[in-house]
This record gives sequence, C-alpha cells and structure tokens, in this order.
Amino acid sequence: MLNIVVCIKQVPMVTELPWDEKTGTLRRDLAAGMMNPACKRAVEAALQVKEKQGAVITVMTMGPPAAEEVLREALAMGADRGILICDRTLAGSDTYATSYILAAAIQKEAPDCHLILCGAYTSDSETAQVGPQLAEELKMPAAAYVENLEISGRLLRVRRLVDNFRETLEMEFPALVTISMERYEPRYASFAGLNQAFNEKNMAILKAKHLGITSENLHQHGSRTKVRKVFVRKTQKENELITGAAANAVCEFLDKYQGKISAVIGKSIETKKQT
Amino acid sequence: MQFNPCIKHKLIRNSARHFAETELAPIAAEIDQQRRFPRDVIAKMRALNYFGLQVPKEYGGAALDSISTAIVVEEISRVCAAVGLCVTVHNGVAVYPFLQFANPSQKEIYLPQMASGKMIGAFSLTEANAGSDAGSVETTAVKNGSHYILNGTKIFVTNGGVCDVALIFALTSSPDNKLQSSVFIVESKFPGFLRGELEDLCGMRANPVSSLFFEDCPVPAANLLGKQGDGMKIGLSTLDNGRIGVAAQALGIAQGAMEAAVKYAKERQQFKKPIASQQTIQNYIADMATEIMAARLLLYRACELKDAGGPFGCEASMAKLYCSTIASKVTSLAVQIHGGYGYSKEYDVERYFRDAKVTEIYEGTSEIQRMVIARAILSQSMM
Repeated sequence: MLNIVVCIKQVPMVTELPWDEKTGTLRRDLAAGMMNPACKRAVEAALQVKEKQGAVITVMTMGPPAAEEVLREALAMGADRGILICDRTLAGSDTYATSYILAAAIQKEAPDCHLILCGAYTSDSETAQVGPQLAEELKMPAAAYVENLEISGRLLRVRRLVDNFRETLEMEFPALVTISMERYEPRYASFAGLNQAFNEKNMAILKAKHLGITSENLHQHGSRTKVRKVFVRKTQKENELITGAAANAVCEFLDKYQGKISAVIGKSIETKKQT
Repeated sequence: MQFNPCIKHKLIRNSARHFAETELAPIAAEIDQQRRFPRDVIAKMRALNYFGLQVPKEYGGAALDSISTAIVVEEISRVCAAVGLCVTVHNGVAVYPFLQFANPSQKEIYLPQMASGKMIGAFSLTEANAGSDAGSVETTAVKNGSHYILNGTKIFVTNGGVCDVALIFALTSSPDNKLQSSVFIVESKFPGFLRGELEDLCGMRANPVSSLFFEDCPVPAANLLGKQGDGMKIGLSTLDNGRIGVAAQALGIAQGAMEAAVKYAKERQQFKKPIASQQTIQNYIADMATEIMAARLLLYRACELKDAGGPFGCEASMAKLYCSTIASKVTSLAVQIHGGYGYSKEYDVERYFRDAKVTEIYEGTSEIQRMVIARAILSQSMM
C-alpha cells in the first residue's frame, strides 16, 4: 500500500490583508483561515491516487492551534490521519526552518512514506521554497509545479508546465512533488466526511520536543532570513494631456520626451520643428 | 455555556458557504426569474449529504447535530433561499418524521433513498380550508383491504412539483366511526397522485411549490406513519422541528441582505462620500447586525435544547418568530439602503426582500407562533 504524506498550510482567507504599518506584519487576526489553494489541490491529487490504487494519506501542517481546521478539512475530503506540529518555540520559522521541522516530523511519523506532496506555493507568501527544500532535507528527488502525476509500480511519472514547455519527468519512490494550480480541482467535502473527520479519524499534535528539536539545533537549522522591512508597493502615474493641432502636439511631445525615448530605445532621435 | 463556534461548526459553515457561493450565487437571480428548479446543482448536493443532514450513518446520512443543520440551511439561504427551502423542508419536515415515527421497515425502505436525495420529500398538511387551523383537514383515507384510498387536495406544497414522496395528512375513521387525523407515506408514482401547476409566488420562486391532488389514490396500509389517529401528534412534533429550519432560512436571508447592504453602503457615493459615512445608514447597519446576532443565538439555543432531548417547541417558535420578523425588517432596510437600485432586479436585495416575507407565514404564521409561545408561558405555574 502506498504511503503518502501531504504537507499543507493554513493561509488567510483574503488576499489583501491590512498591514500593520508599524511592525510591517500582516494583521492575520483580521482574517479567517483557509487551506492554501495549491495545498488543497495536493490533497486532491493524493485522493485520486488513493482512489485509483489505494493509499494511506497522512496530512501534516505546522501552525497555531487553529491550523487544526485545515487538517480536519483534509480528513473530511478523505485523508486518513492528521498531524499538527504546534509549538510556540517554532513560531516565525522561515522556509528553511519549516522544511527542517517538517523533515523531522516525516522521519518520525512516516519514515517509510513513498510520496510527499506539497502545494507548489502559498497564497500568502508565494516563495515556493518549502517543498523543494524539504526534498533536500530528506535527500529525495523532487519535481515542482506538477500538473499531473501517474504511478506505475515504483515509478512516478509527472507532467509539468515550465517556461511554456510541457515536460514529462520520471522518478523513483520515495519522491517529493509540488502540485500547481493547473489541474486537480479539489472536491467538496461531504457533511458525512466532515462528521467523520471529527468523530472517527486520528489527529496527533506534536511539540518540538517530540521531534527532537531543541533551541540548540534550531539555532543551527533555524531561520536564516530576516525580514528587514515590509511595505506596500506604490505606483504613481501622472498623465499629461497635450492639446492643440496634431503636428504641434507631436512636436511638443518630442521636445519634452525625446531624451527619455532615446534612452529607452538606445539611439538618439532628432526632431524637425515646423517653421 | 459556549458562545464561540467549535471548529466543526466553523468548517461546516465554510463548506456550505463555499458550495453556495460557487454553485448557487451565479444562478440565484436567474432561477428566481425563470422559476426554475436547479436540478443540476441539486444533483451535486445529493452526494454531499445535503438531503440526509441528520439521518444516521447506517441509512447513509451525515448524522449532523441540529446546530450544524441550521448552519447549512442558513448558508444556502444566504445565497439562494429557494434552494434553502428545498433543503430545509426535505430534512426538517419530510425526513424528520421518519426518524421519529417510522417503523423499522419504513425506515429501511425510505431513509436511504431520502438521505441520498434520490427521493425528494414533501410534507403536506395545508388545504384550502386548513391552514393555521390544522385540524380542519378534509382529505380522506378510507381503508379498503390492504390499502387506504386517498381523496382530496393539498395546496402550497413546497417541493410539490418535484417530490418523489410526500407525507399526507388525511382523515381516517376510528373503529367507533370517529374522524381522526392520520399521516400517510405517499409516493408520487402511486396511481391517482397528481400534481397541479406550479404556483406563481412573490418569493422563493425557484422552489416548485404546487398543489397535489389525490384521486382514488391507493396507499398500502404499511405506509401509515405511526398509528391511525397519530396525525395531530406527528404534525405538531414535525412543525416544531420545521420551525427551526425556517428560522435558519430566515436568518440566512437576513445575513445575505445585510452583507449586500454593507457592501453597497461602502461603495455608493452621495454628497461626495460613501453613504456608509452617514449616521442614518450606520444606525440601520447597527440595528441589522444586532438583530441578526440576537436571532442567531435564539436559534442555536433552540437547536441545543432539541439535541439535549427535552422539549424545544416553545424555543423553536420563539426562534421562528424572531428570525422571520427580523428577516423582513433587515431585507426591507437593505432595500432602503440601496435606494432606487434596491427596488430594481439589478441587485439581489430585491429578491431577498420578496423571499423574506413568507418566512413570517409558512410553518405557522407569526400569529400562531405567538399563540404557541403564550400558551407555553401561561401554562408554567411559576409565572
């Protein structure tokens, strides 16, 4: 039986969250949480594998206690077991630290897993790093931005769209794949499934100590990135209206802007003024 | 006492909301105008247990608690009250009496089909001369060997145009020749089961409300629900439950109307600023939000009492009375906030306004709810 781990993340439900201008952080308290859309497609991809050839699906997330919601949702969709890594000492982990922690959890809870699926990127930070970094931590092959996967025996065939080329890659288990937003439209969870997710399915909560993560190794493997400043990008455009007879307007335009235009096109342009 | 929703209730709300916004929001105005029952969406709802919300797992249902069920009806009605009506009538007054009063073989036959939505249910008490006065039913069921022969006309049957099975209240005679009310499980495929034209109603227009005619319709004696003469008991108990459903529906309509009004008030500029900055509009919004919150707490309290297994009829009536009253008020204010546009079919609040009114009428009018509540209060010797 295939053993699949799907790593998912809870993200804020709205795309444009208010910023706290002073601290440069998102006001996450103002938004309800939801399962990151690409992660939901990764769960769907796992469920389709399960339906086709049978699999045990473990869903895993790191986050605050409220992140239990996305695990329950994945269980309601049809996953078998949930793992929540929830510890205040792990708060503020960057992608490097997150992949280190997820790797420790997978090694402890699903050491014999064949396939790890992640969403290709999250809607709140869009780094697309955790999946590939996790594969590095676990020393397994990875393919990112995958739109379709097929399994035959120990062989995994993935198709993905990169730089406008569609390529097909093959790799052997164990492997990690990140799922893009192209396919795997996620199913609705049924109400019976939702009820089951609370009454009949297992969910474990892991602390840093369960994973053998101490302040010392966190120092070594902890966040390497520091956020210096977060700001809202402002674009300002000014429109200038040039009026008058067409020939004069063109000349006035070139008088004012030929310097800029020359710089952009890389050669100087001359204008002839009407006399 | 727990006032914050648990994770399960939150997820159930998100799930129903996501479905309603994806599948129903794009068509809600259109099916209202065309009086079209959205069979394609209903088919999707079947697999997701919308038709077996509280049916036990062994019959293929979702076995949800009553607050979860109210939340589902609320969220569907927030987007499309006519489909919310289909769901709440099927679950609240067609399936519920089976759970309460059916014998094992009736449960075995009908519950799996109803829970899967393969059979859509209706509940049929109302007649031309029997509305609030439920005791005045004139439809008759005369025992003839292994069958009862039904004759009569039911009106304003919600889901009437599409139901596969209906619970029909009819008069039977007792051994000592007294007329008594009884309930029959009648399938639409029985001979003599005829549907009338769909009603052309003010609101809830996508729900196929119709009359049902019974012309010498033979119903197997095995399809008597409960015992002969149990009609009043089954009716009153079922209506208590149905009122929770209508309250949830009214609440969902009010919520949808308020959200539309808030959005519009922020966008609409008059006197060079959004109308939301006017104190009058703010007062409207404050009243709407407060009344919706109070209604929700009253409704969930009735649900909790029901699940605790005690009597909940008085609280269900209070919830139904209050939720439907504020639904009419909130939708009217939502139209007012939209001004002239609110009176146009271009905006959803016009539909909410029409849909809300009937929640004060069906499943017991507001006047009947007050009667039920007053009787309960006056019969308590403490007071």
